[in-house]
Amino acid sequence: MAVAETKKLSKKLEELSKLIRAEIPWEPVGPTPMPDIPDIRSWDMRLLKTYQPFYAPFCDLCCLCTYGKCDLTAGKRGACGIDIATQQARVVLLACLMGCSAHAAHGAHILEHLIEKHGRDKKIDLGESITIEAPHIRTVLGLKPETLGDLQIALEYVFKEVGHLLDSCHTGQEGSALDYESKALHAGMLDHVGMEAGDIAQIVGFNYPTSVADTPLVDMGWGAIDKSKPTILVSGHNPATSTEVIDYLREHSLEDQVEIAGVCCTALETTRYSDRAKIVGPLSRQLFFLRAGIADVIMTDEQCIRTDTPQEASKVGAAVVACLDKAMYGLEDATDMEADEIVRRMVGNGEHFAILDSAKAAEVAVKVAMEIAPKRRKEWLAEEEAIELAKKCNDCAMCEQVCPNLCSIGAGITQLAKGEFEPLRVLFNECIGCGKCEEECPRHVPIFRLMQVAAGNETWKARAGRGPIMDTEIRTVGAPITLGTIPGVIAIVGCSNFPDVDDVADMVEEFAKRKYIVVLSGCSAMVAGMKKDADGKTVYEKYPPDFEGGGVVNVGSCVANSHITGAAIKIANIFAALPLRGNYEVMADYVLNRVGAVGVAWGAYSQKAASIATGCNRLGIPVVLGPHSAKYRRLYLSRKEEDDWQVMDARKKELVETGEPSPEHLAYVCETKEKAMPMIAKLCIRKNDTPQGRAIKLNHYISLYKKYMGGGLPEDLHLFVRRDADIPLVYKKEVRAHLQEIGWQPREPVGLPTYIGTYPSKVSIDAVIH
Amino acid sequence: MSAVLPRHRVNVLTGIKSARLVEDAAECANYIQKAKRPLLVIGPLLLQSQADGKLLLEYALDLAKAGGIPICATAQTRGKMVELGVQPDCVYDAVEIVNALKDPDWKGVRKEGNHDLVMFFGIRSDLGSQGLSTLKHFAPHLKTMTLCKHYFPHASYSLTNFKKDAKWQEFLESLIAELQKGG
Repeated sequence: MAVAETKKLSKKLEELSKLIRAEIPWEPVGPTPMPDIPDIRSWDMRLLKTYQPFYAPFCDLCCLCTYGKCDLTAGKRGACGIDIATQQARVVLLACLMGCSAHAAHGAHILEHLIEKHGRDKKIDLGESITIEAPHIRTVLGLKPETLGDLQIALEYVFKEVGHLLDSCHTGQEGSALDYESKALHAGMLDHVGMEAGDIAQIVGFNYPTSVADTPLVDMGWGAIDKSKPTILVSGHNPATSTEVIDYLREHSLEDQVEIAGVCCTALETTRYSDRAKIVGPLSRQLFFLRAGIADVIMTDEQCIRTDTPQEASKVGAAVVACLDKAMYGLEDATDMEADEIVRRMVGNGEHFAILDSAKAAEVAVKVAMEIAPKRRKEWLAEEEAIELAKKCNDCAMCEQVCPNLCSIGAGITQLAKGEFEPLRVLFNECIGCGKCEEECPRHVPIFRLMQVAAGNETWKARAGRGPIMDTEIRTVGAPITLGTIPGVIAIVGCSNFPDVDDVADMVEEFAKRKYIVVLSGCSAMVAGMKKDADGKTVYEKYPPDFEGGGVVNVGSCVANSHITGAAIKIANIFAALPLRGNYEVMADYVLNRVGAVGVAWGAYSQKAASIATGCNRLGIPVVLGPHSAKYRRLYLSRKEEDDWQVMDARKKELVETGEPSPEHLAYVCETKEKAMPMIAKLCIRKNDTPQGRAIKLNHYISLYKKYMGGGLPEDLHLFVRRDADIPLVYKKEVRAHLQEIGWQPREPVGLPTYIGTYPSKVSIDAVIH
Repeated sequence: MSAVLPRHRVNVLTGIKSARLVEDAAECANYIQKAKRPLLVIGPLLLQSQADGKLLLEYALDLAKAGGIPICATAQTRGKMVELGVQPDCVYDAVEIVNALKDPDWKGVRKEGNHDLVMFFGIRSDLGSQGLSTLKHFAPHLKTMTLCKHYFPHASYSLTNFKKDAKWQEFLESLIAELQKGG
């Protein structure tokens, strides 16, 4: 190496060491602190060897530069030389970068807001049960963050890397689909760092619950809102403003007089701050609620907010305050205007404003809501009126043609015209709330209002988000998870583009009663509570809130997803005592081979969901997606027996051909809930399972297969039975007979399975032995 | 579908190399009969009954029988097939079978080599469309066909958009009859 280059490298290391305070020996610094794009590339390539990208292009073209449009069909390349696979990978990377940026920029905004309030030196204290406060930041950066200021270091690193990754998407850059995938995996990893920084800041700065499992149960559903009171709706993901509204109400003794309700993740954030706030529901309920006119003032922040909020609000005489610079809707920026003047114009002229000072926005929102609420009519449509309006429908099916969830809306409306409400109520559960049907209707049938009448005013309970999993919980469940006696951790996360909203509660119920640990976040955490059993109880009321077998845990909003993946890292670090500092590959390898965790993003729609899932994948966590997610254009699939299932047995230091596809896929789309159930159970299988643990996991796999797939035994069961002891007792006879029939041969389990040693890496095999 | 393309395609390409529209059952049967190793991939939408009470799945089974075509059952369709007394030749989920099909060296469900014509029937249209796109771009060694009641541009051959289910059923019945004649 040239002298100049060595010096440059040393200088970089020196700066890095300073940033992460490498001299503080809480753990030795591993091989990849603050990794650049190529630093974990070998790990990615090892993953991609077994879990090859599967591309499903939306269209045949690349339309990103002025050379094009370029036709990429039949092996043709674009004017820049790109092929169809590489173009798909590039688009996936762009999606992951949007998602990662959304979380990290949210984190940066919150951090700026809280540093202004509390100062950079505000200590990070997540309570007595959480000492590993930031497993991602510790693992990826090698930094142990102690103050809010330290979180800025993490976010600055994320932004730097995002810049490089985005650069690679420019025309005439990367020419390999696999390298774009490695970059997407890098973006996904960064996303979890950004989310973690954001949520830690929120917990510290807003005093959210932490080191506690039993958070309050909060009211959910539009029926939970007292519409006789002035109502403020907060929408999006960023709680900077909603917390100010609550502070304002508290300071002015108005909490009993004004309702505050949230939709999408801001609802989860707001209920972490005050259990008197209400959750309207997930993103799919946003437009319904806007059109219902119950909200007097709508405060938007960022991400997953309707881009036509001001127009929709104007239709029902509600007022809008845009609170963040990311979505200003072309409104006048009133940040420097006197609050009373803004109120006067909003009330008098029906104007909407952008107010980027959260305290002022809160004051204005409360004052406007209190002034305009008494003058507004907030009546539900009566059932008789709904039936009359439904008679306008001639079932032309135009609505069905534009429905992203392929619903037979016209059939439901025509049934309603006959006085049958049930078909439309069923459709409401499948509705993703986009409003395309109503826009398309040539007879202007108010489909949303009709569906709302059919849906009724039922209310539910959701458990308020609790933030990180406690270290004490990890110590308890670490052994049973890695041995397999807790059959798996199922993280049901993400958005509300569900085939059917009930699917989520059904999945939670199915796995919680089987003593899996079920973890929830975001819109999925809300809809999990939107189904009651015969006793009128939701899953939050039926199952304990602890991170233990049979527990149902709501960690919080989107950014709280980092705590789920963080828990997987904590198992490696706390339970297995593997150092995590700058040691990403070791953590990911441990999770992939030994922690039976599966992500389920059943209603994923957003770019954030793409980056969260891709971050899970780099960390070795497989993700099951709902059918819409084929539109992400890329999955990571194996080919069962035909793929490379070789691992190293770290104890014997020997390569072992296991032939066992565990986990079988990394990113997988299921067509139906029925298929997803056994697939989720199967993806919890790990090579590290003890015979007892494997038997438990196979028991669930077989039983779910029989229940949902129409009986019989899974076609690939033989691949997961290593020895007779792996066969669950209840199916012993049937499985033995089947195995004998197909000529199955036993094989030895691997003592300490690892990918380390099977590909070029800076990590030595001894690093995975604890 | 054919369209006259102007000389400078860069300005007009819409992004879809469209499927050939098949409106005649005899033509459809001809494509199937010409194939050496056809495969029928069936999905859970076939578990729905039609107005006459007949399951869509029954059309699929009749069609496979008439043409001697192996069946790949996706999602939970296998269970109903077994109830009707038919074992599928293989069980994969939609993305798994598409993933296998795009490998030209895959041995196929009967271990006789990869398939040259794959018919999809009963898979929800968004997932189906994406899977067909995968095969269009990454499986030049095979042709695809859809038997659902909507037009799928990413397929090689697609039925039209049927406004009335009865017309679609009529088409399927004619197709089965044509295949029976051919057999």
